[in-house]
Amino acid sequence: MLTNIFRTSGRLSRRRLLQETGFGMGMLGLAGLRLSPVNTSPIASMHARAKRVILLFMNGGPSQVDTFDPKPALVKHRGKPPSGKLYKKHKGDGFLPSPFTFSQHGQSGMWISESLPEMAKLADDLCVIRSMHTDVPNHEPALLQMHTGNVQPIRPSFGSWLLYGLGNENNNLPGYVVLRPSRNIVVGPALWSSSFLPARYQATSVVTNDLRVDHLLQDIKNPRWNSKQQKKQLDLIRAINAQHSQQRPADSHLESEIASMETAFKMQTEASEAFDVSKETATTRALYGKSDFANSCLLARRLVERGVRVVSVYYVNKSNQPWDTHAEHNRKHPTLCADSDRATAALLKDLKSRGLLDDTLVIWTGEFGRTPYSENRNTNSDKLGRDHHSTAFTTVLAGGGITGGLTYGQSDELCMGIDENPVHVHDLHATMLHLMGLDHEALTFRYSGRDFRLTDVKGNVITELFS
Amino acid sequence: MLKTPLKQSLLRCPFTLWTLVASLSFLNAVSLNGSEEPENGDFWSFKRPEAQRPPALKDETWIQTRIDRFILARLEKQGLQPSRKASPAELARRIGFDVTGLPPSMDQLELLRFKDQQSGLRRYLERLLNSPRFGERMASLWLPIVRYAEDQAHQVGSDLKHFYPNAHFYRQWVIDAFNRDLPYTDFIKLQLASDLVEGPDSPNLAALGFMGLGHKYYNRGRLDVMADEWEDRVDTVTRGLMGITLACARCHDHKYDPFPAEDYYAMAGIFSSIELVNSPPLRQEKDAKGKSRLIFPQEALHIIKDKEPKNLPVYVRGDVGRPGDIVHRGFPGILNGGPQSAFENGSGRRELAELIVSDENPLTARVYVNRIWGAIMGHPLVTTPSNFGRLGAPPSHPELLDDLTVRFIKNGWSTKWLIKELILSATYQQAIESNVNKETIDPANQWLWKAHRKRQSAESYRDLILYAADRLVHANGPSMELDDPKNNRRTVFGRISRLELNTYLTTFDYPDANVHAAKRQLSITPLQNLFRLNNQFILKQSKAMGVNLIKRTRTKSVEEVVSGIYLKLFSRLPNETEVSLALNYLGEFPSEDGATQYCQGLLVSNEAIYFD
Repeated sequence: MLTNIFRTSGRLSRRRLLQETGFGMGMLGLAGLRLSPVNTSPIASMHARAKRVILLFMNGGPSQVDTFDPKPALVKHRGKPPSGKLYKKHKGDGFLPSPFTFSQHGQSGMWISESLPEMAKLADDLCVIRSMHTDVPNHEPALLQMHTGNVQPIRPSFGSWLLYGLGNENNNLPGYVVLRPSRNIVVGPALWSSSFLPARYQATSVVTNDLRVDHLLQDIKNPRWNSKQQKKQLDLIRAINAQHSQQRPADSHLESEIASMETAFKMQTEASEAFDVSKETATTRALYGKSDFANSCLLARRLVERGVRVVSVYYVNKSNQPWDTHAEHNRKHPTLCADSDRATAALLKDLKSRGLLDDTLVIWTGEFGRTPYSENRNTNSDKLGRDHHSTAFTTVLAGGGITGGLTYGQSDELCMGIDENPVHVHDLHATMLHLMGLDHEALTFRYSGRDFRLTDVKGNVITELFS
Repeated sequence: MLKTPLKQSLLRCPFTLWTLVASLSFLNAVSLNGSEEPENGDFWSFKRPEAQRPPALKDETWIQTRIDRFILARLEKQGLQPSRKASPAELARRIGFDVTGLPPSMDQLELLRFKDQQSGLRRYLERLLNSPRFGERMASLWLPIVRYAEDQAHQVGSDLKHFYPNAHFYRQWVIDAFNRDLPYTDFIKLQLASDLVEGPDSPNLAALGFMGLGHKYYNRGRLDVMADEWEDRVDTVTRGLMGITLACARCHDHKYDPFPAEDYYAMAGIFSSIELVNSPPLRQEKDAKGKSRLIFPQEALHIIKDKEPKNLPVYVRGDVGRPGDIVHRGFPGILNGGPQSAFENGSGRRELAELIVSDENPLTARVYVNRIWGAIMGHPLVTTPSNFGRLGAPPSHPELLDDLTVRFIKNGWSTKWLIKELILSATYQQAIESNVNKETIDPANQWLWKAHRKRQSAESYRDLILYAADRLVHANGPSMELDDPKNNRRTVFGRISRLELNTYLTTFDYPDANVHAAKRQLSITPLQNLFRLNNQFILKQSKAMGVNLIKRTRTKSVEEVVSGIYLKLFSRLPNETEVSLALNYLGEFPSEDGATQYCQGLLVSNEAIYFD
């Protein structure tokens, strides 16, 4: 379709057309502009190991010492108050060992707790970073940093940056899709905002609590006209526009509008199909489980399969940040894990069996982790919780050029801080962009008089993670 | 904090290395030394605009106003000729949308039947400028410049205390200010300091919403967070009003423009000496269950007031942990023809406002004239409307911009004068011709050999649909959600959110309300067309149009009724093919479905989306 446009409006530069028309929800990103002789693209040419990203986000912050980062020393120090500036006084009862048993899995012998039995079976596909850290131990800034690199809500999200850099693979689907079971998420849309990047790089946000396609996607289906009526109406629109264009030849904008209308018409069918999980077999659906998170994971696979560049899946339920276990941690944690574990493992297996895992980067993380010591918001000691922990937590990667079975980085004996190979959120972003074939230092956007980056002035690519 | 200051300064500044290399040829013109030691105001935009002698022309017959002389001279130089004049109907539609955001009504079209076209046009234009719709249209242009919104980008729990439910008082003040043609000088002074200029009983307190509706970030009270808020204020004021990127000087001296970091902190100090308040303040009330909740008094304005004034230190590299020398509150010297001015009265807001709109300020009037030019002509003279610095674009017609700016100031900074001056020009009144030769010479039409075709904004497109359905209601007051099915008011009265901008607005390129918007982006996306094909709002209005259509066919032929619709929507009659398309689709006795589909077809067609 694009070639047609170029043919009919040869006088318009390719660059200007792309800048102004944003075909198919940003089908062509900055990288696509490289062909243009007038544009010196900032993107260094690199071999991309991944084409798509799926972010599985555990809102509230999952506990690393109960999942991927065993700390036997916590038993020895049980109840002892941590010292130093990281510890907030008068909140808890000192160090709290995990009640969950850890064992080694896969050929790699990766340590994973009994909370995550299904992911444990895929240990050799996982890459566990035990040395993550973020700037602020509060939800809002940490959520924003994980999504935009910045702790205030005024920057584009990683997904918008990826679309800006790479464009979309499928003209008839949105390039960046956000799946959330409810509207109720801490911070909310600033997490997937395109901010000052052009609007065509914005996310399409989908609330997944009702899986009927016309409830998932606004305006995807006409509530009044059947397809025969709509075809007839489209013919009318074509004819009316043809009359208009006749006196206004070679106007690239008018031609783009017409082409875009045709695309929208086709999207009605293609997007409806892509978002329809009822098309999946009973076996596949059973693999994922029945929760909202499971449905979203399944939907994510359908979308990346069809060329959607970035999908974010948020783990929220009645609570807007269920993993924020300040109280009754030991009761809540296993339930959350059970749900997340099954769906995450199902997604990885499903991607793998379809040959998609190799070039799809899957990230499993929260905005931060949880403290190795307890907090006690109730007097009852059964109801102990864990507080926010930004100085050492775990993020898990899989697929997309990542080494499976690798455990990277080391937190200290009690998981208060990091001993070896710290990975800041900026480093994670730099690494993600690199895997997608983008140079995080060159992917810039001029705004308000200076060039902005996802990684600001920081970020190192952690090449040790690459396969 | 940072181990590699060199790397940081390279990246914080506008140019990364690769662009630096790519731009050497451009920078040669302004001397690379400029980045080392900011020079005096030799750069064009830092010099005061001067009246220009209009250039000599080969042929003067085309000239209608002084603007045309500059435009024609440039066209002649490029070997181009202007296009023919647009027809009265085309002009009526163009002027209607440009001045009021709506198509002309039938009785307005009547005004154009004067024998002397130009005097008919003049009367028509006067009428539109005096219509309350003018201020509404202008507010649509202004509000994104000041990142107008009614809430915050974040909400902690159910805490709404930082939201602005009465932001509409500011919006209405802006609308009224345009309608009464408040001089731009007063417009700015009152927005920054009406309480100080006119006293605590000023009738213009609502104007303070400019700053009063500003960002409140997470963890307010922490110095680094407040420093981010000051940056929001400095950025909005300097880019929005003066086209300078002073916020760049927060971490180091500006790399390309003559603003040392002291200039940034001198202005940030003003904003650190004010607070955002609700007046009267919010109060706590207990409900029946004894739960306390916040009450916003209905009349509460979201404004600012001075607190204990304080001067800020220069924070080295923007790091609040590294305070340097204290800088007195003040204004960049380069814009004031001398050393940095120091402010003594309270926060210094009033002095700031006075220097921004001083006749000596080389930028404020230029920037505003350029914005209005862009809105009316469809393409600004300086294509980076919020950056008149060295990294901005140079003006396509520097003498014209200077001359028009000087005359704007002479004419009392009157927005209505300026718009009249533009619309009465032969330049504005050109048709949109297509011409292969001229397009080869100037494909982007930067020399204005024809008028620019314009796309409806989010606001005017929705307004047009309601207008077509005879449903548009003119009422001001508190905002309504645009998704509210009962909301038939103009789009400018819709609620603007920083937290989650309305989907319709996002889809149709309304800018993010979190930051100053230099200009609208233009995107053409399938999502917009899914809205046009399937959205309940458009279906509902199409049905209303269809029902009207059928009603009229009781006394008139289908052809007559369709002609009426074309006149209303497109300010013209349908041609033969268009009539037969309508007759084919509708038949002799149109069904409700058929009529609705037909009307929807017109509303989503290119002629509804664009105007010539």
